[in-house]
Amino acid sequence: MKLRRVFLLGGAFLLVIFKFALDVVEKNVELDLMGLGLIRELLIIGSLGLLYVVIDALASRRESTPVRKLGFVLITMCAMILAALGLSASGVGGFDTKNQALVPLDYPSIFLASLVAIAFGIFSIIVFRLLRDLILINRKPAARRNWLIFSALLLGTSASCLTTRPLDSWFATSILFGLSILFAVMNSFRLPWIVYLTKREKLFSLACGFFLFVGFTALAVQVGGGTLLKRSLLYYSHPLHQFIQLVTIFGSLYAGMAFVSTLFHLPTAEAFDRKRSEVSSLHTLSKLVTQVFDFNELVDNVTSMTLQVVGASSCWLEIIAHAGGEDGPAPLEDASYGVHVAAMKNITQEEIDLLVSPERRGIRDSIVSDRKAIVVDDIERDPRFVHLKKRRGIAGSLVVVPLVSHTGLAGILYAAKKESFGFVRDDVDAISAFADQATVAIENSRLIRESLEKERLYREMLVAQEMQKRLLPQYVPVAPTIDLDAISTPAFEVGGDYYDFMEFGDGRIGIAVGDVSGKGVSAAFYMSEMKGIFQALGRICSSPKEFMVRANEALAGSIDKHSFVSLIYAMLDLQSGRLTVARAGHCPMLHISGDDVAYVRPNGLGMGLSRGPTFDDAIQEEVIVLGAGDVCVLYTDGVTEARCGDDEFGYERLMATAREARGKNAAGIKEEILATVSRFTEHRANDDDLTLVVLKWNGSDRRP
Amino acid sequence: MSEFKIGQREVENVNILELKGYLDAHTAPKLEEAFQSLLRSQRFRIVVNCRDLSYISSAGLGVFMAFIEDVRNAKGDIKLTNMSPKVYNVFDLLGFPLLYEIFKDEQEAVTRFFPKAK
Repeated sequence: MKLRRVFLLGGAFLLVIFKFALDVVEKNVELDLMGLGLIRELLIIGSLGLLYVVIDALASRRESTPVRKLGFVLITMCAMILAALGLSASGVGGFDTKNQALVPLDYPSIFLASLVAIAFGIFSIIVFRLLRDLILINRKPAARRNWLIFSALLLGTSASCLTTRPLDSWFATSILFGLSILFAVMNSFRLPWIVYLTKREKLFSLACGFFLFVGFTALAVQVGGGTLLKRSLLYYSHPLHQFIQLVTIFGSLYAGMAFVSTLFHLPTAEAFDRKRSEVSSLHTLSKLVTQVFDFNELVDNVTSMTLQVVGASSCWLEIIAHAGGEDGPAPLEDASYGVHVAAMKNITQEEIDLLVSPERRGIRDSIVSDRKAIVVDDIERDPRFVHLKKRRGIAGSLVVVPLVSHTGLAGILYAAKKESFGFVRDDVDAISAFADQATVAIENSRLIRESLEKERLYREMLVAQEMQKRLLPQYVPVAPTIDLDAISTPAFEVGGDYYDFMEFGDGRIGIAVGDVSGKGVSAAFYMSEMKGIFQALGRICSSPKEFMVRANEALAGSIDKHSFVSLIYAMLDLQSGRLTVARAGHCPMLHISGDDVAYVRPNGLGMGLSRGPTFDDAIQEEVIVLGAGDVCVLYTDGVTEARCGDDEFGYERLMATAREARGKNAAGIKEEILATVSRFTEHRANDDDLTLVVLKWNGSDRRP
Repeated sequence: MSEFKIGQREVENVNILELKGYLDAHTAPKLEEAFQSLLRSQRFRIVVNCRDLSYISSAGLGVFMAFIEDVRNAKGDIKLTNMSPKVYNVFDLLGFPLLYEIFKDEQEAVTRFFPKAK
C-alpha cells in the first residue's frame, strides 16, 4: 500500500518535472504547436490525477468528524493564502500577453507558477474531496445525484478549456461555468452534518465557516481577478485554473452557507444536546435494566443520570413497600404503605425527611393516590411545604414522578433544583422516562427474587418429600404365614397418607393405614406426628382399641380443631390368623375369602374429632379369622374416590377388582388394583394421596 | 368441576345453609366464610341442607368441626339434613353421626330447635 503510494507520488512528481522542462524549453524556442500545448495539459492532468488517487485513499482511510474536516480545510486554506501572498511578494517578472497566450518574462516566474499551481491543485483536490464527504454524509440519492452532476460540470468546464489559449474564452466554457455555479449553489445547501454537532462543535463550526467564507472569497477573487496569481495559474494550465477557480467559488458558497446554517442551529443546540444525552442515557439504562442482579447499582444509575440530564441539584428514589408485608407493589386501595430510599444523590436522609416528612405525607400521598407526576415550581411559596420555614435552601423546585408498574406503584423518583421554577416541561418528560426504566428494573428484580424464592421452596419440598418417604416403612414384615405389600403415593410433593407396620416379636404384627384431613404440607406434619405416636404407643398397647384411645388423647394436644386423622388398625396373630380390626373413621377394610367379599367396618370415630368418652365409646373392635388364601386390602380414600369426570372408583369396583385378582400374590393384587384405578382415571395423575396395603394369608385354615 | 355454591335462608328463626356442588379444600373457605358471618351476627341455630351437595372431602368435613364448639357453647347447634347416600357415607365413615344430628328432612331439623313449642 505504501509502496503504491510512493509510486503514485513519484509518477506525479516526474510528470510535473517533465512539464516544467517543456515550459522552460518553450520559453526559449518558439514551438507554436497545438500538439505541444495539449501534451503539457495532459501531463498536468495526469499528475493531478495521480495525486487525487493518493489524497482520496488518505481521506477515505481516516475516520474523521465534520468539524475536523472543516478545520483541516481551514489550515490548508491558510497555507494557500500564504502561498498567494508569497507569490505576489516574490517580485518575479510575471507574464507578458502575446497572441492571447501568456509568455513568462523570466525563469523564476515559470518556477513559482509551477509551484503555486501544483499547490493550488492539491488544495483544490483536498477541498473537493472533503466537501464531498460532508455533502454525502447521509448518502441520500438526491444528494449523490446533485454531487455527481456538479462534479461532471466541474470537470467538463475545466476540460472545455483544454485547447483554448489562456486568455481566450470559448462560448461553451461560459455556459458550463454558469451551470457549475448553479449546481455549486444547490450543493451548498447540503449541510446535514450541522444538526448532529454538539453545542461546542457548533460554535467551532460557526467560526470555521466564517473564516473559510472570508478565505475562500478572497482566494476566489485572487484566482479570478487580474492578479499575478491568476496569470501564473493560467500560464501553467488553463483547465487547472478553471478547476481551481470553480472549487474556490464553491468553497466560498459552501462555507457561507455553513456559517449561516450553523448560526440558525445555534439557539437549539442546547436542547438538541439535552435530547441527545437523554437518549443515550436511556439507552445505557435500558441495557442496565437487564442486569437486575445488581439492583443497587441500577437505582444508583437512574438517580445519577436524572441528575445529569436535567441538571438537578439533588435526586433520590424511594421504593414503596406496603403494609401487607407482601413483596410487591402496593395495590391502589391500600392506604397504608412504607417507603425506603433506595438511592440518593447530593442529599441526606435527614433532608429528605424534612422535605417530604414521613409524618406529613402531603406530596407522597398525592402521588400514591393519583399516580401522576407533580411539579412544585416554588417550594418556598407552596402550601405543601410550609413546614420547611426554618430550613430553606434544600431545594427551590421539585419534580416528583411515580414509578407505576402494571401491578401497582413500585416507587417514587424525586429531582430537586436549588432555584425555583427550575424545571421545564422537557425535564419532567425526561424524569418520567427514567422513572419508567427504573420501574421495569424494579419489576424485573422482584420477579427474579420471586422465582429464586420459588426455586428454593421447590427444593425444600423435594427434601420434605424425601424425608416423608423415609417415614414410611422401608421393608414389609416377612413371616411364613403372610405375604404383604404396600404402596403410598402423595398427590403433591408431600401428603397426609400414612401406613406402618409393627412387629411385636411375640407372633403378632400390626398394620396401620391412616389419612390426615387436607393435603400437602399441613397434612404431612400430622402424618409425621402420627408416625411418632404409632411407633411409641403401638408397641405398648395390646389391642387396637386401646391404641386408638391413647393415640386420640396424644393427638388432641396438637391437632387444630378442623383437622382430624382417620386410621384403621389391624392386629394379626401370625399363628392363628386371628385378625382384630379397629377403625377410627377410616375406610373399611376389604376382606376376600374365596368368593365371599366383604367390608369389615367396625364402628368408630375419626381421631381429633372428639376427646374423651365419646371417642372411647365409639371405637369398637371386630375380629375375623383368616382362611387359607384370604386377602385383606387396607387403603385410603385416594383409591375409592379416584375420579373420572363425575364418577368415582367406589367400593364396588374395588371389591370386584380385588376378587378378580385374589389368586395372585400380594404384590400382584396391589398392581392389579393400581392398574385398574389408573385405567379408570384414564391415567391422570391422582388428585388425592393414595395408599394401598395388601395382606395375603398363606397359613393354614384354622377357622372353626 | 369444583363448582360450589351456598344459598342462605331463614325459617322460623333458624338459618338454613344450602350447599350445592363440590365441597373440597378449594371451596371449603366459602363455607367457612358463611359460618363466620352467621356467628358474627349471633346466629347459632344452623341447619345445613345437603340436598345438592355432590361431594365432600376431608377438608370440607373439617369446616363443620371448626365451628361446632363455638356454636354449641352459645347454646346453638349445627344440624345436617337431606344428604345423598354417597355424602352420608363419607360423614358416616368418620363417625359424624356421633357428633352431629343428621336428619332426612330439613323441617324435622328446624323443629328440633324448638322441642317445647311443638
